Amino acid sequence: MDRLTALAAERLASVLAPFAGPDSRLAVRLEDRAGVLLAGTPGNATERAVSHDIRLDGRVAGRLVAAGPPSDVPEIQAAIGALAAAIQALLAESTARHAAESALASANTAADARTRRLDDELVLGRRLQRSFVAIVPPDVPGYDLATHYEPATEVGGDFFDLFRLARRGRPLSVVVADVTGKGVAAALLMAFARPLLHAAVDHASGPADALERTNRVLVEERRSPLFITALCATLALPTGRLRLANAGHEPPWIIPGDGSPIRSIEAEGPLLGAFGSLGLFETETELGAGDVVLFYTDGVTDARAASGERFEEDRLLAAIEAARGGVQAGRGTAAEIVESIRAAVTAFQAGVAPADDVTIVAIGRRALAPRRRPGRPLASS
Amino acid sequence: MALETSVEQAMGRVPITVLTLDGELDASNFTALVETVRDLYAAGSRHLLLDLTNLRFMASSGLVALHSIVRLMHGEPPPDPEAGWGALHSLGQDVAEGSTQTEVQLCGAQPAVERVLARTGLTRLFLTHPDRAAAVAAF
Repeated sequence: MDRLTALAAERLASVLAPFAGPDSRLAVRLEDRAGVLLAGTPGNATERAVSHDIRLDGRVAGRLVAAGPPSDVPEIQAAIGALAAAIQALLAESTARHAAESALASANTAADARTRRLDDELVLGRRLQRSFVAIVPPDVPGYDLATHYEPATEVGGDFFDLFRLARRGRPLSVVVADVTGKGVAAALLMAFARPLLHAAVDHASGPADALERTNRVLVEERRSPLFITALCATLALPTGRLRLANAGHEPPWIIPGDGSPIRSIEAEGPLLGAFGSLGLFETETELGAGDVVLFYTDGVTDARAASGERFEEDRLLAAIEAARGGVQAGRGTAAEIVESIRAAVTAFQAGVAPADDVTIVAIGRRALAPRRRPGRPLASS
Repeated sequence: MALETSVEQAMGRVPITVLTLDGELDASNFTALVETVRDLYAAGSRHLLLDLTNLRFMASSGLVALHSIVRLMHGEPPPDPEAGWGALHSLGQDVAEGSTQTEVQLCGAQPAVERVLARTGLTRLFLTHPDRAAAVAAF
């Protein structure tokens, strides 16, 4: 049995199973080079298919095929691409693990092998997770972006995304989310959900619509027992206008540049994946010169010290105030705030293995942008 | 931090199994809680009251446990987080259509736990009561 077939038998059948139901509009299957079905459901010659090559040692070993009626859901196509990438990563890990296991097989008991396998799951989930979140932040004139992302040993499932929208004014889109679960199942759901959210934001009329669309696809097509909490925001760069919708996530905070009190942006709604419709509403606020908006996941506030105490919002507030140099000073860039929180969380949970991922995203509007027109002298002679 | 559970029986209009959660519900123990409820259902429990008075903390994985518990108490196969993608969201659909299940109810949620339930919209799934007496009377 070759490695792709072994992987399909071992892991992929259950991953692809939900796409095999009679009421799934999309059938997903894994085939080897000869077109022999390895996992999923057989195709139908008349349907339209999107396929992604699965490579082994640089050669095409098979393909992942998503087939169904001509797709009216571009989000799903994007997600299938990510699923193919996830399978590719699983394959690479599985290959390495099988090699390691056969080398060690004679020296280990069955119990050891099982423990090692569970450890491998966690390492793999973590690696998958990092690969999906490692992004280069976009260039956003007039604003400072700062992020911190640290997956826990037992993968928690955080992810975030920052990108410019392809529409007038090219607003900045922010997504911060947390899959409720851990291990490979959470990492795969994240792999599926991140491009889904991205594409939904691209097509939606606004953040609430984007989250509703994502929820619809998650509930109708994916059918995972896990949920996702997510924040979605768009920022109009010239005005600083921030539109935001919240699906069960910790509310973001506004840190005013003038030193006035930090406030949260209230926009509550149910999390993604549990209910047929969310009924989300949007909140709008304005990011003034010098203001910072902060997004974070519960890995920050739920971080636990050796004493069992939790970090909680009070310590988060204190860390931000420390970066501002005291309430009156009204200072603290996005980067300083993120670093202050990161350092405080790290110090707080010293000696304890972090149980959850930590994600922090801060966006600051620069205080003073001197107006210059490129290519023109500053003063006419 | 550990989670301790204890089981008692109470009699309302119907026989009620009261499951008391003491400690913290998080990623390290949520599957064990689901297993406990699976055993209770197998032993014949059909109405479950979760007493959260002594639950000090609930992580987001606790939400998955609550959802799974509701499914179990409806006699549906519980979703398996490892098998992944096989669960139906029929409960969510029911709620979207305006009906709340009554087989599993909650009482005594402290502010920290109440906040998580409210923020994530999971309160939609449950009838919640201030204390055990009020809850038992409501079944």
